[in-house]
Amino acid sequence: MIRKILIANRGEIAVRIIRTCREMGIQTVAVYSTADKDALHAQLATEAVCIGSPRSADSYLNVNNIIQAAVNTGCDAIHPGFGFLSENGDFARKVQENGLIFVGPSPDLIDKMGNKAEARRLMKEAGVPIVPGSEGVVETVEDGLKKADEITYPLMIKAAGGGGGKGIRIVRSADEFPAAFMAARSEALANFGNGDVYMEKFIENPKHIEVQIIADCFGNVVHLYDRDCSFQRRNQKMIEEAPCFSLSEETRQTITADAVKACRYVGYNSVGTVEFLLDKNGQHYFMEMNTRIQVEHPITEMVCGIDIVKWQIRAANRQRLTITQQDIKPSGYAMECRINAENVKQGFVPSPGRIEFMHLPGGRGVRVDTAVYTGYEIPPFYDSMILKLITFAPSRLECIRKMRAALEELIIDGIETNIDFHYFVLHHKKFVDGSYDTSFAGTFIEELKQNEYVV
Amino acid sequence: MNMLFKNRHRQLQDFRRLLQPQKKDKTDEKKAVCPGCGKENSLSRLKAELYVCPVCGHHMRISARERIRQLTDEKSFREMYKDMAVADPEEFRGYSEKLTAAQRRTGLKDSVITGTATINGTKCAIAVMDSFFMMGSMGSVTGEKITLLTEYATKKKLPLIISCCSGGARMQEGIISLFQMSKTAAALKKFSEKGGLYISLLTHPTTGGVSASFAMLGDIIIAEPGAMVGFAGKRVIEKTINRQLPDNFQTAEFVQEKGFVDIISHRHNLKAVISGLLKLHTDKSRKELTVRGRMSLIARQATVQQKENITPWQRVQIARGAHRPKAQDYIDRLFDDFYPLHGDRLFGDDNALIGGIATFHGIPVTVLAQCKGRNLEENVKNNFGMMNPEGYRKALRLAKQAEKFHRPVITFVDTAGAYPGIGAEERGQAEAIARCLMEFSDLKTPVIAVVISEGGSGGALALSVADRIAMLENAVYSVLSPEGFASILWKDASKAPQAAQAMKLTADDLMEKGIIDEIIRETATEGADSIKATAAQIDRYLCTQLTVLLKKKTSTLCDERYQKYRRTGITE
Repeated sequence: MIRKILIANRGEIAVRIIRTCREMGIQTVAVYSTADKDALHAQLATEAVCIGSPRSADSYLNVNNIIQAAVNTGCDAIHPGFGFLSENGDFARKVQENGLIFVGPSPDLIDKMGNKAEARRLMKEAGVPIVPGSEGVVETVEDGLKKADEITYPLMIKAAGGGGGKGIRIVRSADEFPAAFMAARSEALANFGNGDVYMEKFIENPKHIEVQIIADCFGNVVHLYDRDCSFQRRNQKMIEEAPCFSLSEETRQTITADAVKACRYVGYNSVGTVEFLLDKNGQHYFMEMNTRIQVEHPITEMVCGIDIVKWQIRAANRQRLTITQQDIKPSGYAMECRINAENVKQGFVPSPGRIEFMHLPGGRGVRVDTAVYTGYEIPPFYDSMILKLITFAPSRLECIRKMRAALEELIIDGIETNIDFHYFVLHHKKFVDGSYDTSFAGTFIEELKQNEYVV
Repeated sequence: MNMLFKNRHRQLQDFRRLLQPQKKDKTDEKKAVCPGCGKENSLSRLKAELYVCPVCGHHMRISARERIRQLTDEKSFREMYKDMAVADPEEFRGYSEKLTAAQRRTGLKDSVITGTATINGTKCAIAVMDSFFMMGSMGSVTGEKITLLTEYATKKKLPLIISCCSGGARMQEGIISLFQMSKTAAALKKFSEKGGLYISLLTHPTTGGVSASFAMLGDIIIAEPGAMVGFAGKRVIEKTINRQLPDNFQTAEFVQEKGFVDIISHRHNLKAVISGLLKLHTDKSRKELTVRGRMSLIARQATVQQKENITPWQRVQIARGAHRPKAQDYIDRLFDDFYPLHGDRLFGDDNALIGGIATFHGIPVTVLAQCKGRNLEENVKNNFGMMNPEGYRKALRLAKQAEKFHRPVITFVDTAGAYPGIGAEERGQAEAIARCLMEFSDLKTPVIAVVISEGGSGGALALSVADRIAMLENAVYSVLSPEGFASILWKDASKAPQAAQAMKLTADDLMEKGIIDEIIRETATEGADSIKATAAQIDRYLCTQLTVLLKKKTSTLCDERYQKYRRTGITE
């Protein structure tokens, strides 16, 4: 039975987990770096423990200090949030070895799904469509060229241990292949400490669709329908919406069924997300699985009326999933804008600093998840996302209008933010009609530059 | 903190403005090239400018709907005979296809839109031709719609406006299209007999069968600057006479010079001009003539010093003086609005005679004024105030128009005499003057003549056949100039001063002889104040006399006028 959780994270997700824990009567321990002593999560938790200096490697990625803090404060469990140690199998294993509960799937599952080549193999076995690819690590250029012919161009070379859009090379012909291959290898080695790369077909301008999953350790799996995360800048999501507007009911059924099938096959036992690519013909391919809570989980919560973190903790607590698929009846539309402390005009560079004044929108159908407040000094060491603005309405257009109104009201003074950028996106015809794909953000930014709206 | 919200508010307004043009830019990209100067302008700008090129002032061709938008009050237009279409277009091969294509392109059934509308509040019947529909050619439907509208206007006693724009009769309909000319003209005759006002607006191009029927029959003809107006095409004429024609040939300005267009109005003023003319003709509320406060004050305050011992020759010199106020000076001061009308509809427009319509104390009047120039430049233009036959015929045309609309006529006499020239003789100077004398004697509306400076011979008499003749104190009126008198009788032009004495040409002399009815006293001083004072005196005179004359029955009026002239020269 979990009575006290250490939250091995910071920022708004730490605050969001603390809120659910309070609701569930679970005590919380926040950990913070010396740069985060004024951070909101450290104030809201029952206890707060300093675990190191500002650099992530010394604090939020410092496995020993975190486990030590959990043991010292008498915690039963550790919640990793997202980012940092959330998809680190070794960390999960260590947590368990120290007699604590890891709020997430089994360490082996993290490892399996975290290794993209392994995940692909499993999915193929499970009968989930995957993007044609190299089936395992590609060792040499010759080997790669041979496989490339089978996959057909254009294709991508990806780091097996990568993520977040880093270490990806797009190759359009055999001539480019050798150079791209070597570059990808060295980049992978530099970024992830692992030079292994694999190849897969490059699907041009797909839509990014993902399915939220809740499972327990008794083999029960339900899905909370889909999200559309196609508005991405350099593979970083900026706006997400649920459900996907352009998805046909038929495709939605096959995608959600495939997601559930994948989780059943690997014996998944926590909250997770299965990501798919949807090409122009409506064909979907398994992309990857995130074995953690996700940034954009609130939009699914709004649409389905379910607290996903609550079920994550329950699953970790070996409680049975008491909701069935029939109980989940999504209604309306939800949308999330990630508000970052960044300077759009200067190519989206982070803009840390002191928030002199902040005014948050509110009212019906508006949800704000944030960990910053007036007078708070944003440290330069971590992710620039400071606030998630979520709106919920019966129809997509109402949802967009509500989001516009909310953005109009939102004031964050003292730092540069991307509020106005979002405001412009929400007025673009292509965004409003919902037909945009992953290439849209790039072209939209170019358009803004040309029209000198932002420059 | 308050400032932050205000700033945000301002910023959002900026954003909205940025987001608006994003859409607008696309329409703005559509540009049109001006056929006049070749410069590009955005359509939105052109629309705001009423499709007049902001660079060179060229008046572009516009559709009938656009013309109605520009001329009539918003939402006041009620279309009539909308669905009338050619009954049997199959008769002529290819006509049906051409008709369908034009219908599809313009959204009209035929080349004219007819209906009723208000223009600055005045209701009228209006027909507008569309040159984008088969060059606005007149077929049976066009003729029928215009005839029906004319009949409707006759029945409902509405003023009629036709905006013309046509290449001529519609060849595909053959003889039927030709006879639309006579049909429309006949309907307009009936309309005119009933006293209806018809304003014809000539726009580019008005030619062929349309110009040779209803277009040229307006009581008042207005044209747009630069519009081509004519009968035969320029190319046809050049081919026939084998001569190059001047560039301005058949332009509105050319045609006005030749006496066929009353007003050339810039498109921006068009609505104001038409509505002003409509008001002059439709305002039936006959106001009591009262001397305006300002004018009566000036009239009373003016110290009228009768100068003693001014010899007749001195008066001749005063009357001829370069600084003596001219007719235009009095027109400017006596009438709030003055619409000069041009042309005799026969040969040309004589600048020596200003003619037009104006309101005098709220009632519409026709003003005819012999007009000497105020400087050499004006004098050259005005032929030193000496009229040609076309000037007398223009005066007569406008007098007849005044008779039709029951407007009093006010004439200002100031001329050394009718112009002695070869052309004037060729065109029948004597006939023109004689015709004036005859017609004015029986004009069925009050006429008042004011001799303001020089009344020279028959040239002056043509405009002073009136119910009342007044003379300014220093004006002179005689059978010919004192110089001429001296040289004929005494063979010595230098004896003009003595001649002036002998001729009895001063106002006092004429009053004594019963030729004139009133002497209007002038102030001793010269300049603007004296013009104002004299104008006030004229104003008071016109006011009192018009009040009397307007009360008389037309037959009494004409009888009395006859008797007035019948009596002259009777020795008892």
